[in-house]
Amino acid sequence: MYAWIWRHLPGPVTARVAIAALLVTGVIALLMLWIFPWLEPMLPFNEVAVDDG
Amino acid sequence: MPRDEEAETQVLTGLDFTSHSGTLPITVPRPSAPPDGAVRKTVRTFGELLVTAGIVVLLFVVYEVYVTDWVSAGKQREASAELDDRWSNGRHVRTEPIEGKAFARIYIPSFGADYTFTIQEGVDAATLEIGPGHYKDTALPGEPGNFAVAGHRVGKGAPFNDLDLLNSCDAIVIETADRFFVYRVLPMKEETGSWEGDQGRESQCVNVPTLRDPSVADGGPYGATFGRVIVTPDRRDAVAPVPYQSGDALPAASRASLLTLTTCHPKFSARLRMIIHAVLTKEFQKEPGAGYGDLLRRIGEA
Repeated sequence: MYAWIWRHLPGPVTARVAIAALLVTGVIALLMLWIFPWLEPMLPFNEVAVDDG
Repeated sequence: MPRDEEAETQVLTGLDFTSHSGTLPITVPRPSAPPDGAVRKTVRTFGELLVTAGIVVLLFVVYEVYVTDWVSAGKQREASAELDDRWSNGRHVRTEPIEGKAFARIYIPSFGADYTFTIQEGVDAATLEIGPGHYKDTALPGEPGNFAVAGHRVGKGAPFNDLDLLNSCDAIVIETADRFFVYRVLPMKEETGSWEGDQGRESQCVNVPTLRDPSVADGGPYGATFGRVIVTPDRRDAVAPVPYQSGDALPAASRASLLTLTTCHPKFSARLRMIIHAVLTKEFQKEPGAGYGDLLRRIGEA
């Protein structure tokens, strides 16, 4: 999978490294800014109140 | 693996000599065999996906423990500025708290002089992201009954991260528009037996009673109200006017003025709740120009 992505990146090695770093950053941003905030309320880590429920 | 390297390996391992014309070959690239079979590819991709999933889970931990802290710190700053603004506008009338908005501040001197958070009205997720939240139907600061506040222990600023470190008689200060209320943590369960005898020992324990009724075997209405209690999440009665009793256990006039803090327990788990009960010991009218620092000196915590 990763080898396949690497082979399909254009340009010389330095360009590929730059593009790869950009892709990784993009994926982390996607996770941190959208996916995790969406996922988090569905997980039970943050229940701090007592409730009848 | 690049082509020519592979061919070299083949020569070195000495395979396939018979298939050649007789002269010693220098390189013999195998004509058609693909570098990796389908099974090998599938297994490798599966492995890569597993490693990726592991990294994503680790990133989620980083998000939960650090990133939510930064987000909440911003919201807490905003709420604090807004509260200062409202208080300094001179509207010192006691008004009902507005849902989701800050209406008080909490200080815990034993967590450091800079430990402070605004308290918002309500305990829903969005409110608790700003800071500790007040259970809507419970008493307000200083009132008889139970002023109950929930807060995060992990991430989101983790205001109640260290509640397990509170000892009996530790001060918890609540600031409202016009007053400071000094609550002190009630004796722990194991201390209640010898409390009356030990109480004079430390000056900060003055006015911190056990609340237990010694004439009754189970301690009376406040028999289960200790400094720190661990309960299951369904014990809503931990924030009842008289903790762990039904609403009409005591007439309103004879209720103690309590402060109750709730957070999750054990740390990183939602299995139980840690409850801290404190009792009102002192109350100060706010004076112009005198802040929390002056209060600390007055109550001997500075």
